[in-house]
Amino acid sequence: MTHRQKLVGALVLLAAFQFLILFAGFFAPYGFAAQDREQPFAAPTTVHFWDTQGHFHLRPFIVDSESSEARVYPVRFFVSGTPYKIAGIIPAQVHLFGVEQPGRIFLMGSDAYGRDQFSRFLFGGQSSMLAGLIAALLSVSIGILVGGIAGYYGGWVDELLMRGGELFLALPWLYLLFAVRAALPLHISQWEVFLLLVSVMGLIGWARPARLIRGVVLSAKQRNFVVAARGFGASDAYLLRRHVLPQTYGVLLTQMTLLIPQYVLAEVTLTFLGLGVGEPLPSWGTQLASLQQFYVLSSYWWMFLPALLLIPLFLVFYAAADALQEIHKTVAL
Amino acid sequence: MKVESNLNSGRTEPLLRVTGLSQQFVQRRTLSRSKFTVNAFSDVDLALFAGRTLALVGESGAGKSSLARCVALLDQPTAGKIELEGRDLLALGRKALIPIHGQIQMIFQDPTSAMNPSRSAGEIIAEPLVVQGEGTKAQRRERALHLMEQVGLDPRSEGKRPFEFSGGQRQRLAIARGLALGPRVLIFDEVLSNLDALNQSLILRLLADLQRSHSLAYLHVSHDLRLVSEFADDVALMCEGRIVEQQDARKLFESPKHSYTRDLLATVQSVDSILLERSA
Repeated sequence: MTHRQKLVGALVLLAAFQFLILFAGFFAPYGFAAQDREQPFAAPTTVHFWDTQGHFHLRPFIVDSESSEARVYPVRFFVSGTPYKIAGIIPAQVHLFGVEQPGRIFLMGSDAYGRDQFSRFLFGGQSSMLAGLIAALLSVSIGILVGGIAGYYGGWVDELLMRGGELFLALPWLYLLFAVRAALPLHISQWEVFLLLVSVMGLIGWARPARLIRGVVLSAKQRNFVVAARGFGASDAYLLRRHVLPQTYGVLLTQMTLLIPQYVLAEVTLTFLGLGVGEPLPSWGTQLASLQQFYVLSSYWWMFLPALLLIPLFLVFYAAADALQEIHKTVAL
Repeated sequence: MKVESNLNSGRTEPLLRVTGLSQQFVQRRTLSRSKFTVNAFSDVDLALFAGRTLALVGESGAGKSSLARCVALLDQPTAGKIELEGRDLLALGRKALIPIHGQIQMIFQDPTSAMNPSRSAGEIIAEPLVVQGEGTKAQRRERALHLMEQVGLDPRSEGKRPFEFSGGQRQRLAIARGLALGPRVLIFDEVLSNLDALNQSLILRLLADLQRSHSLAYLHVSHDLRLVSEFADDVALMCEGRIVEQQDARKLFESPKHSYTRDLLATVQSVDSILLERSA
């Protein structure tokens, strides 16, 4: 498999996953806040194709064995259910699948309030992925600005910016975040918490991409075609825009792909510590936060499922980053 | 040691005159605060005339390329003067220098590295015009196509990337780009050294034609004294950062004055004699 094929494969998988998350309302059978207090910590529902007599059914079904007599609910597709909004604007209520009331389908089990984990995972992905994406964009943007200036102008500007970067690398950022949170009022809106989280993560992480970009710029500005363009009378802005910064795009893309999963994980960790998005808003962090309780940890294994699902997702991100780097290397040669 | 230059005798004013040009690099020793200076070249005098070629010859490390880059206004010399028709260029501010860049152009040794690999031939040739804000897009393209024809490239290959051309074609592409702004001084940094004998002679013929039709002044950096004898009007010999002899080409080859020149000529002749012996 060539690197290009690997990249395309990874991108298709990522796009498919983003599609699931983006249209969570449609793919999730329930709303993220829909509760069923009767069924806390329900185990993942088994979807059957064969009945007890061994007959195969094309339409899958689930069996509700909780009530006094077991009832069978066929899984129905394109059913009408909890209203939601497509892309936050267009109202809709069609879901990909569902079962008739009072039956419940919990593909990944339910949490303490009887909320469907699968639905919450899809909805939670929206805020977690968005947090990862914005924070990574922020880091890389600051990185390209600082690294570009430091590498291009060199001298004391470079010294100053790079020492500043080292300071950021040396910061015990978790405690910094605690301090920032403590300095803010106790009750702030979920949006503000989200923005705070994202901006702190993004602001802290710029030093590494900045150092990488500085290195690329240092060698890029020495290349003969850049020197030649200077010989035509080109300004610094022109050289940076047309010749120097485009050479950093490969590194930038790779960094972005590496940083997104890192920041997604940071969101999960920070929310786990109570610094992130709070209930009832779903995020992968809030979903996994219930693992703080020992009894959840020891009795309900399906509460780990969101964390397990992140592993293949992150692996795809890393595969994409790896392929990007390899492609960039061959292009650079 | 200052060399008597007899280039100016009985000739018109030079187009470009370099006087007392020096370049030093200050370096710091590792794990120490002590600094030391490295002279790339010092106290160089040169004169370039319209329609004539001055060859700058010397071994690797003699400081030829550093000197060429300073004359091409790509690097800053430490001391000295570069005058274009009597106008001191080093005294000019950055803004005032921008149009001057159009008059002095440098062609690099390796054309591959001198061109952005992601641009097409047409874009590469038109880039100097874009930088200088000359003409509309259509006019620039027309000029690029005309230049391609002028240097013997097929204008239909304007959409090709540099790597799709051969070595000789790439050097032509670089020359076309160098001509885009209508320069009066062209500086060649070992442009022939990566080419085979056939391409060398083709490029030399092209350069001679261009020089005649545009009355261009050439500064041609080379390490190959034998090749230089084919195209140079004047030769300046450089050794350890200094010009040791500057002469009319014919005179220099007939009666070299400096011992370094004699040594250099002797090595060329001995290589010739070895080849002769072998073929015999």
